[in-house]
Amino acid sequence: MEVTVLVQAVYKAFEILEKGKNSEKARDEARELLYTSAKFTSETKSLTEKREAKALLLSAKKSRLALRNFFLTFFILFAFWILLSGRFDYFHLTLGGICSVLVAYLCHDLLFFNIRLGDFRTRARRFFLAGPWFMGQIFSANLHVAYLALSPKMPIDPQIIRFNTKLESDISWVALANSITLTPGTITIDIREGEFFVHALDRKVAYDLNTGEMEDKIAHVIMEADHVYIQDVLDVASIFGALK
Amino acid sequence: MISISDDIITRTVSRVLVPFIQIYALYVIMHGHHSPGGGFQGGVILGASYILYLITHGLEDAKKRMSELKAGLLSTFGILLYSGIGLLCLIMGRNYLDYGGLSTILKVIPAQARSLGILGIEIGVGLAVMAVMFSVFFDISTGGILPEDEEDLGVNR
Repeated sequence: MEVTVLVQAVYKAFEILEKGKNSEKARDEARELLYTSAKFTSETKSLTEKREAKALLLSAKKSRLALRNFFLTFFILFAFWILLSGRFDYFHLTLGGICSVLVAYLCHDLLFFNIRLGDFRTRARRFFLAGPWFMGQIFSANLHVAYLALSPKMPIDPQIIRFNTKLESDISWVALANSITLTPGTITIDIREGEFFVHALDRKVAYDLNTGEMEDKIAHVIMEADHVYIQDVLDVASIFGALK
Repeated sequence: MISISDDIITRTVSRVLVPFIQIYALYVIMHGHHSPGGGFQGGVILGASYILYLITHGLEDAKKRMSELKAGLLSTFGILLYSGIGLLCLIMGRNYLDYGGLSTILKVIPAQARSLGILGIEIGVGLAVMAVMFSVFFDISTGGILPEDEEDLGVNR
């Protein structure tokens, strides 16, 4: 693809030179065209190189990832077993351990599928810190819906809004969709390749959704890289304040 | 034939739920002699987890986790475990499935031997029920015809 672009650019440049009869202006124009085409091809080349390097790195991490996923799944399942069983004698704990190993072996690629290596502890901390925020959000949305339902005029304005999300992985899409559904007044109808279809009860709710605050929070918790999110900027701002 | 679900929410949530359903099924099987539940109920839940995976991830993916061959082997193994423990009791000079006779082999008191014996029976029943549940659903969803058979039978012609 890059070669065809370059050939075409050279061809066009000669055409311009021929048309402009080798004048100063035509020469500048042709040079400009060649320069941009060269820059474009070099950029795409570096992009593909980056992608290849990323694939190499991922395959190297994959085996380590599988082992880590196995142990994480095992501990979560064993905790769930203890919660269910409530018996702490050796016999039942051993049974639980055997069952957890079995299920973790069968399902280690199911529970943690799309999660990057090395940042698990930070994500867990952020997850627990985000809990109260979600609770507050749900509480205020509850009050708003109660106001809508109780006021005699019932000023509802049902509407379906759609927006493109900047989140990338499927687990963050599902987290966002479920937190939208959990908040009273809004229901996620569908996700189609990153485009959300949400039913909102009135204009204020729809406006709150469009500001993307919840999206930023999800991105912060799940640690989607490659973008700068509002919450990250706020985190850094405190550090800068301390340095000043 | 069931293919992979279009809905990303269904797919992801079922992917996260399947391990928990399976550990719950094993809990129901293992605690059958203390609390409600037992081999059959646990086996049904375990089969349901695989059926959920088949519905959401399609036949191709599900076959990598549980094929018809595996299901057949597991169901026969479960029945073998059941009848094996029963016959062992018969060999020890008791009635069929009278677990008290296992106390000399396991070197425990008869009451404990009964508890362990019923656990083994429940594991066998659970495995058999899980495999049969899955293979029944598998046969219904494919209509008894696998994609690789279609060419031989000329279904698509």
